[in-house]
Amino acid sequence: MNYSLDTTAPVTAALQAGQAFRPRAAACADDALARVLAGSRHLLFDGGMGTMLQAAGLAAGELPELLNLSDPDAITAIHAAYVAAGSEVVTTNTFGANALKLKGAASVEEIFSAGVRCARASGARYVAADIGPLGTLMRPMGTLSFDEAYRLFAQQVRAAVDAGADLFVIETMTDLAEIRAAVLAARENSELPIFATMTFEEDGRTFLGTSPEAAAITLDALGADVVGINCSLGPAELRPLARRMLAVTDKPVMVQANAGLPRTEGGRTVYDIDPGAYAAAVADMVDDGVAVIGGCCGTTPDYIGLLAGLIADRVPAPRAVERALTVTSAQSVVTLPRSSRRIAVIGERINPTGKKRLQQALRDGNVDYVVGQGISQQEQGADILDVNVGLPDIDEVETLPRICEQLSASTLLPLQIDSTDPRAIEAAVRRYAGKPIINSVNGTRESLDAVLPIAAHYGANIIGLTLDEAGIPATAEQRAAIAERIVDEAARYGIGRERILIDCLVMTASTNQAQALEILRAVTLVRERLGVACTLGVSNISFGLPAREVLNATFLSAAFGAGLDAPIMNPGSERYMDAVRAFRVLNAEDEGSTAYIDHFAGWTDPYKAGASSASGAAAPRPTVDTESGDAIRRLILTGRKGEMAAATEKLLETTDALELINRRFIPALDEVGVLFEQGTYFLPQLMASAEAARVGFDTIRAHMGSGAIADKGAICLATVKGDIHDIGKNIVKMLLDNYGFTVFDLGRDVDPNEIVKTVKERRIRLVGLSALMTTTVKNMEETIRLLRAEVPDIKVLVGGAVLTPEYAARIGADYYAKDAAETARIAEEVLGGRRS
Amino acid sequence: MAGTNRTDAARTQKASDLSLLAGPVLYRPDAAEELRIDRTEMLRYLGHAGQKVDGELSERIEGIAREVEQTVDPHGVIQAFPVDATGVDEVGMPCIRLTGTTIELRGRDIFRHLKDASACAVVACTLGMGTERRLRLLSGQRPLDAALYDAAASAYVECAVDAMEHIVRREAAAAGRTCTWRFSCGYGDCPLAAQDAIVASLNAGRLIGLTTTPTHLLLPSKSVTALIGIIDGKDAAERNGERPSCAICRLRGNCAFRAHGTTCYA
Repeated sequence: MNYSLDTTAPVTAALQAGQAFRPRAAACADDALARVLAGSRHLLFDGGMGTMLQAAGLAAGELPELLNLSDPDAITAIHAAYVAAGSEVVTTNTFGANALKLKGAASVEEIFSAGVRCARASGARYVAADIGPLGTLMRPMGTLSFDEAYRLFAQQVRAAVDAGADLFVIETMTDLAEIRAAVLAARENSELPIFATMTFEEDGRTFLGTSPEAAAITLDALGADVVGINCSLGPAELRPLARRMLAVTDKPVMVQANAGLPRTEGGRTVYDIDPGAYAAAVADMVDDGVAVIGGCCGTTPDYIGLLAGLIADRVPAPRAVERALTVTSAQSVVTLPRSSRRIAVIGERINPTGKKRLQQALRDGNVDYVVGQGISQQEQGADILDVNVGLPDIDEVETLPRICEQLSASTLLPLQIDSTDPRAIEAAVRRYAGKPIINSVNGTRESLDAVLPIAAHYGANIIGLTLDEAGIPATAEQRAAIAERIVDEAARYGIGRERILIDCLVMTASTNQAQALEILRAVTLVRERLGVACTLGVSNISFGLPAREVLNATFLSAAFGAGLDAPIMNPGSERYMDAVRAFRVLNAEDEGSTAYIDHFAGWTDPYKAGASSASGAAAPRPTVDTESGDAIRRLILTGRKGEMAAATEKLLETTDALELINRRFIPALDEVGVLFEQGTYFLPQLMASAEAARVGFDTIRAHMGSGAIADKGAICLATVKGDIHDIGKNIVKMLLDNYGFTVFDLGRDVDPNEIVKTVKERRIRLVGLSALMTTTVKNMEETIRLLRAEVPDIKVLVGGAVLTPEYAARIGADYYAKDAAETARIAEEVLGGRRS
Repeated sequence: MAGTNRTDAARTQKASDLSLLAGPVLYRPDAAEELRIDRTEMLRYLGHAGQKVDGELSERIEGIAREVEQTVDPHGVIQAFPVDATGVDEVGMPCIRLTGTTIELRGRDIFRHLKDASACAVVACTLGMGTERRLRLLSGQRPLDAALYDAAASAYVECAVDAMEHIVRREAAAAGRTCTWRFSCGYGDCPLAAQDAIVASLNAGRLIGLTTTPTHLLLPSKSVTALIGIIDGKDAAERNGERPSCAICRLRGNCAFRAHGTTCYA
């Protein structure tokens, strides 16, 4: 397929343009390299380049890649020394040769062209084009987008291909999102073999928290030909990490360790492992099954020379990798081995169907609320989060990847990407830092043709629904037949059974009573006949019946018995989770029943008389007289959120909501504002009061509906482009929320155009901008200039540590607010609140 | 200028006298050290100026401070380089270069700070990406806890850098030399842009997971880089006792700390 660099969903775009899907096959320089990829031949790389260059006097922080142009002979000499020592592959001196790091000092193409030439001149059997990290952190934690990273890597890939490299080595990566972007760029812009390695610290994780298993599984799925580990530690320390990779991937595993740890001796950096000890430790890894070896920092031709003998006349040790369905995020792995009966809970709460508040949050761009749904499900015990943002007025192609990215910042769990729109699925799967599940494909030709290529291209798992052009069939056999068609079709795309979950589709017992047991029979049939995992949307069973949780929990238990692997359910229901915890004892997943015993220690059976009052969290003992109308004021003033809900409920029995807000809440908040202004309160006290008030407002909303609280108008908040400080902005948001303003919070590092777009779409009259650094105030000025040009009547309020009233006026702001309390006052003035 | 008449060779020799710091020294607090957040400092970051804090809030503050102390693992790297104060920058102004690196430090304030120094210990420390993730989670869900965590983390990274500074002072003292106070990019008129070269020269991306944004901010955000001048005996006496001051700070006119009669440094 031909992929456009600027397409949100290139596979879908190519299919729609009439191109046929073609699975990738790496183009190997010769048969020996092909055998390496097939796992039947060892391969010896080279050792450290930076080490050699620094020994030759390279300044710290200097770009070593420029030497390809200024001193090619010196670079070739280093490569040649490795070739003489026995390296079959030399790695080009292009580690940092990306447009971000080069900053125009030379072009990416020049550096790769010269780098490959230097390497080739050494007489090496293979030249590996080296690609290292971009040096800037990607979103969501950093500022670089997936698409920007992809473009930077694609430029390197094309330059390397043009220069005539034989393969890629993508290495020293710590961010799974970044290495995914690099591997995809290599796959989509060349046919060369891809060797991909990440760097782990002593705690067995990368700096960004990825484990060897998550790395190996995700990179294998995405199409790296060899996966592995390099840098940071010596070979003995890396051995257990390499073993963890060997256990979860069939792909050849590569290790390039450091020569131990660096220390300073007489003003020079030396490494603490000598060539002999290094080779001995590498030999152990070769015995374990590591196929591709070499060295990283501190290793020299002396080290590499001793490695050649380790792999002469032998082939990589065969190994048995357990068949399993694996789902990953950058931070965690869920494994469902085919040989045992583990179960995984897929949390269903991020789906707007029938959830008014989530619908509103998605429409308002209230990402925090959506992410909050993910965090609470994680805390409740979900293993995987389903993410569905499908609403008629939501652009799923734009929203689904954005929500997935934000969820990855605050939750650890792998995601299940849920949409009926293949473009939205691809947009999210492409940018997702892990190996997700796609929910879903079904047995119709249209669905199979649109969704399976996406799952194949990105190495995702997939849920297959047992329905086709004729609808949902009635019998278990017919459902199993559709499942089989899906499995066969997936196989044609190279999607193995371990990547498939079949959903036999739960029908409602109230209308299809005879179906309930038939569905369970279908689960058993599918598992036994096809050897794939099964999922079910459990709660559908109880539509239209009372006590739905009772029916759902019973059906869930029965489905576990029938072979269900991964229920899609609400983990917020203790009743369902009790069934999950109990079944994990029965299937021996909860070894020694320890989790079960821990959880139910001190448990009170809700069926036993008198137990109901004891279950759940005890209500806090009131510290103020909640009967008194003054209770609200005192709770807000002292920031006691624990008692706020009860006190608000009490007053709602006798008081109108609006009166409660205007006569109790707002005056108390005002009073807090004054105390803060006078310096009687400091920031945490102001915020504790705001928190308590927030609980009260939520209680009123829950009782009266959201209409109970008058909307005072909308404000758009953002930390400007280039700035990542958002604590102050978040405090402002909290206060504005309480005063009844609708806040559209665009987050941090926000492009001016995005602010303008939001202002126009939402017809916003007031924008609050925050900048903490002198260097980012110029972006604030730029944002204001753009806003003025595009929305002439807009009012702009600014704040942040480096600003002063004079400075604010100079960059064209209408208002300067020195703190959050002042922002609320200005908002009321501008938007015609009470005190305007 | 005291520093300009020495030769580069002499300076290189001086830097290598600090043999421990001549190569990258990794810093991790050891168990015995038990870094402890200075509660007063943490409160000062939150704008505290003597307000009475009641039991519930002070428990929350304490809880967050403990969480940071118990779960966060600072990573640091130190390396000393010879100072060259003889050069000029692009626009012809005197500037400081650290020999053997790409670090060029512009502005009067850093020039004054390092001109008498024979070497400069460059320090970088980060609380890591776990802290950054925790901060992001709290910001979206529990803003008060986020503000407390932010202050606790800032105080914690300061205390880790204090410990690193202590190592530099110990090494300098062992070599019979003394140190200036700790200067960071962004102080006075020293541009933030030098962060990129500092991070690159220390290889801090690889060694401790520190990166810079295109606007030269450090990520993870709870990170610090600092420059400590190492001065020989004669100059040391003159410079001894110098402390950071508000005089070079461009925020001094509008500073919340000063308004409350305190400073942002201890």
